[in-house]
Amino acid sequence: MHATVSSNAPTTARAEEAARNARDTRNDRLFGGLLKACALLVLVSLIGAAASTLWLGRDAFATFGWGFLTSSEWDPSNNRYGALVPVMGTVTTALIALIFAVPVSFGIALFLTEIAPSWLRGPVSSAIELLAGIPSIIYGMWGLFIFAPFVATTIKPWLMNNFSADPPDGQVSWLVQHVPFIAKFFSSEYPFFGAGVLTAGLVLAVMIIPFISSVMREVFQTVPTRLKESAYALGSSTWEVVWDIVVPYTRTAVIGGIFLGLGRALGETMAVAFVLGNTFKFTPSILETGSSIASTIANQFGEAEGLQKSALMAIAFLLFVVTFIVLMIARLMLRRLASKEGS
Amino acid sequence: MTNMNEVASKPGFGTSPHESGVDLGQVPAKMTVRDLNFHYGEFHALKSIAMDVPEKKVTAIIGPSGCGKSTLLRIFNRIYAIYPNLRASGEIVLDGENILDPKYSLNRLRSKVGMVFQKPVPFPMTIFENVAYGIRHHEKLNRTDMEGRVEQALRGAALWDEVKDKLKQSALGLSGGQQQRLCIARGIALKPEVLLLDEPTSALDPIATSRIEQLVEELKSQFTIVIVTHNMQQAARCSDMTAFMYMGELIEFDRTEKIFTKPNKKQTEDYITGRFG
Amino acid sequence: MSASLYTTRRIKNIVAMILSVAATCIGLLFLAWILWETLSQGIAGLKPALFTKITAYREEGGLANAMVGSLILNVLGILIATPIGVMAGTWLAEYSRRSKLGPTIRFLNDILLSAPSIVLGLFVYTIIVLPSKWLTNGDVTFSGIAGGIALALIALPVIVRTTDEMLRLVPGTLREAALSLGVPQWKLTVQILIRAARSGIVTGVLLALARISGETAPLLFTAFGNNFMTFNPIDKMPSLPQVIYEYTKDPSPDINTLAWAGAFVLTMFVLALSLIARFVFSRSKVSHD
Repeated sequence: MHATVSSNAPTTARAEEAARNARDTRNDRLFGGLLKACALLVLVSLIGAAASTLWLGRDAFATFGWGFLTSSEWDPSNNRYGALVPVMGTVTTALIALIFAVPVSFGIALFLTEIAPSWLRGPVSSAIELLAGIPSIIYGMWGLFIFAPFVATTIKPWLMNNFSADPPDGQVSWLVQHVPFIAKFFSSEYPFFGAGVLTAGLVLAVMIIPFISSVMREVFQTVPTRLKESAYALGSSTWEVVWDIVVPYTRTAVIGGIFLGLGRALGETMAVAFVLGNTFKFTPSILETGSSIASTIANQFGEAEGLQKSALMAIAFLLFVVTFIVLMIARLMLRRLASKEGS
Repeated sequence: MTNMNEVASKPGFGTSPHESGVDLGQVPAKMTVRDLNFHYGEFHALKSIAMDVPEKKVTAIIGPSGCGKSTLLRIFNRIYAIYPNLRASGEIVLDGENILDPKYSLNRLRSKVGMVFQKPVPFPMTIFENVAYGIRHHEKLNRTDMEGRVEQALRGAALWDEVKDKLKQSALGLSGGQQQRLCIARGIALKPEVLLLDEPTSALDPIATSRIEQLVEELKSQFTIVIVTHNMQQAARCSDMTAFMYMGELIEFDRTEKIFTKPNKKQTEDYITGRFG
Repeated sequence: MSASLYTTRRIKNIVAMILSVAATCIGLLFLAWILWETLSQGIAGLKPALFTKITAYREEGGLANAMVGSLILNVLGILIATPIGVMAGTWLAEYSRRSKLGPTIRFLNDILLSAPSIVLGLFVYTIIVLPSKWLTNGDVTFSGIAGGIALALIALPVIVRTTDEMLRLVPGTLREAALSLGVPQWKLTVQILIRAARSGIVTGVLLALARISGETAPLLFTAFGNNFMTFNPIDKMPSLPQVIYEYTKDPSPDINTLAWAGAFVLTMFVLALSLIARFVFSRSKVSHD
């Protein structure tokens, strides 16, 4: 620096510089520390969520031991609780949701990346994203007031007529006569009631479709154009390019996306709280009412006390652990694709 | 087969018009590089570089892609220090002090050694603020003094006339060439002693390029300039000394006219005549 | 032989194309169905009292206190989450290069992003509601603050992620240019980098706001709800999603209608926010070139 000339100018300039340097280093360190503390809050929240539910659920775990996981009782009047029914409900609704959502999402992703003309892509993908923005309580309302009655009048009778042992039209189907085992999955105590595991699963499916399809679409778009072009140049049809090139290239990430959808579906509360029915029967039938971990907590926590509250916290802990593992697997699989791209 | 005479007689080639008579041996060295080695992790990127950068002259560094010329330039202001796994060893003496010494303050170094990058990077601020930003950090000036400094820097970068009426507008609205001159103004505003230019015109059109080259010519009366360029004609036009690098080594370092007419090493000759690179 | 192979391939292709168009139509059908129902049922329930009367009057009342409560809770949530989230995202983008903790936190943040919101609500219940009850001898239990903190926890990972990604898009030479002037890292980060990534960060905040506006479950055990209008964050506080939840479960059809009206208002709000966020983001892309 060319400081103005005076006899001790160089020394004061140097001294100022040294002071400024020290101040800058100190500020940098403080600032960096502050930022790091904020970043650590993410870690703290996750640990906190796990720890708090475990801590408050300890009574339930202590009282029932391992039996807590296998017991299907949920009896507030006798203070006996078991996680089996809520856990099964959570898992079953999520799986049903995936069974329907994955193919539909795949179809949408395929449409948007390979088939749709470019003028259609923007509007359609925006429309699908709109679905993702709708709050889950709206899904719940729609499920309860509109979709469940629809299921009760159309889907459920059809299913019961064809697959259950006690069909509304009185005629047991050929399939059920020869494979009676199937009827177990389609029985229903209240055949005209729309709420149930299947209904909830379907509502969940609609909810996670935009989610999974957008992950799939992003993933499909990472396939190098050159790769696809070489296949097209060899005369492949669109379907063949997708099935033989795009899907294998993105396979891990697609599965990661599916796991992501699963993670979301497992943790969802409002979309299913109204249409599950909130009963605690242990039954394999998807046409029966049931309950999920999240819906049980939402419905009962307000009035719960003592052991019941602890039981609710305990199943919350289970939910957290299961979702954490599923989401972790999902992210690991998605990261593999990112590193393949060299990003 | 091209020979050096044919090459030297092409338009654009030729000696730097102002230096042919001066003996550069008499000019003091502003920066002395001794035994400089640089590693990216395991990769030995620069090998035992030694050179004397003359004061208030333009030194060009040329060579094929990947030869290490930008790497070398970026050691002069230790900008590599923000990335992990990059290490330099050896000595670079500036005004009697080794700037590679960890005790040499980075702040001080960067007020003495300024840098202009390949792609113009104006800060997301007004034109005035862009130039004032660096100054503010080092000196406390009152409003009038600051305005004077900014004007001085903008004049020095041959940008003042074009922006004097729009100092409060965003710098992002300037053209590429203007943005680059703004970055030069920003660099010289701190009154550094050395100015490093990393391929300053490669992102610019020919007209903007020639303006910057003219500017370099004017600036060298105040600053020692080191310029990295992949454009040999530019090196031949603008510089007094040229360093030719290849695969991390300094192959030859000499007066520009000598490098481009009678280089000592075959590799240099091959590069100049376009046999590779 | 090859002719029939070709035909099979063609058929497969056509079937696949048809199925994928069908899938898209299914998706769009459900979207239209849900939006249509929300619109028609919701508009039918719209009345001025919705915005002026409180839930204490049930069928004769409206949702005014719920809307105000939602506003307060959302603002609280965003006010808490934004500075923390931006700072955390900045740490990830600028300061975590040498640290192994960086990738771990990024990974955990992604998990927090999709974690069940009801569990996060229970966490806030444990660390805020229960201690409040204990400390104030039962005077303060559920509160707007607890609700705001729960929403902040949900908004946080969204903001962290957007900030991180936006900052990483800023070209490296901008950093180097500032450092070459001798400016310290913290000044460079605050005065230049954040400014450069500004609109992306704002978009992230808007998206986080859209997300927390629709959250119900975590509020059930934190803000709890209130049939009267309150501006006091220490009070129990109502919110639109929570009232919709309760009104949906209610047996009275008039109450259900109010729920639909509330659902309509909520959906419009959230969709408008998402559109604004998208608009802000696309504007920013234009100005930087």
